Amino acid sequence: MAIDTDKIVHAVMHGSRIREEKGIIPLFGVYLSMIPVQYYNRISFGFEKKTGSDGSAEKLLVAAGQECGYATFHGVRSSWEWAEVVEPMIEQVEDQIHCFISIAIAFGWGDLVVQELIPGEKLVVHAKSSYEAKGYLDAYGGADTGKCYMLRGVAAAFMDLVYGGDYPDGCFQYAAEETHCQAKGDPYCEFVARKAAR
Amino acid sequence: MTINWPENFARKGHELFLSGLPIALHCHHYNLNLQKTLETSLGDEGALLLYQASEESSYAGFTSFLMHHPKINTIKSKLELASTSYQYCGLGIINFTKIGPEGGRVVSPHSHHVTGWLAKFGKRETPGCLFSRGWIAGVLAVIYDKHIGYYQVDELECKMTLARECVFEVTRA
Repeated sequence: MAIDTDKIVHAVMHGSRIREEKGIIPLFGVYLSMIPVQYYNRISFGFEKKTGSDGSAEKLLVAAGQECGYATFHGVRSSWEWAEVVEPMIEQVEDQIHCFISIAIAFGWGDLVVQELIPGEKLVVHAKSSYEAKGYLDAYGGADTGKCYMLRGVAAAFMDLVYGGDYPDGCFQYAAEETHCQAKGDPYCEFVARKAAR
Repeated sequence: MTINWPENFARKGHELFLSGLPIALHCHHYNLNLQKTLETSLGDEGALLLYQASEESSYAGFTSFLMHHPKINTIKSKLELASTSYQYCGLGIINFTKIGPEGGRVVSPHSHHVTGWLAKFGKRETPGCLFSRGWIAGVLAVIYDKHIGYYQVDELECKMTLARECVFEVTRA
């Protein structure tokens, strides 16, 4: 069975309209929130501006994205919604990554497409209109380096989850680079995740 | 007036909008890890950045809400909308029961950030609802027609420290 992104997006859109009595959205094994992208961009780029150009903020923000992508999508993969909606679409282990991408699209993280996947070795993801790249362009104009820290970490986290060993020991087995970014004027953002150097 | 929230929550292609404002769905892992990263790296400056980011985004978000719902034009109905939007966005429950244009108190018995922080990191030693503080400051500035930064919101009690509920004090900055 092919991965039905529309069905996964529909499940997320439907589920995200359900609140429990405490005003929390429990969906796909995590607590979801709806927050303007302006908030995330202000934090990321404000953090970067405050720490200067030594790359420390970038490193921490990518790590935050990767660690959270790892925990989030582990929760997603362990949820009853995954078992009910997504699991029937999965025929081989690589399909998990395509399903993770569909959920990330549903979360409003960008128009993500798996461009290349070499099992255990390499994942290439393209994104158009990433809210991070767009937010940077809107606030600061063009950039010299990639600005999609969350998506970069998440790309590596997807490889960690599928090929990095058992949870919770598999995080940071892979690392990703952003080789193209719309904030730099590229036509799309590109993330390449490979086994991390040790 | 009853708000039809699903109508306000729309997907256009791969982007999500709430009352015309671009939003993203993120979970407690990301939200609280970002907070911890900034607090650990920058200390008070990081806390202030989180507060101001929340204040600015809630100011913009609530302004957009009211533009889409011009019939909500009394202070009481605007405060009600603020509470229900907080809940709709999965941020928790917030009660504006003792508030006026010069400040007051706001109480939150449940929140996304408290639930997420306790689940991920356990008890805090100091109040930690930086997002909610900024969010309150932003929406109150819109409701009482003030500029951003007009209100200072402090947290007197916090469920992250295992208090019974989160209590916020609103004063003029």
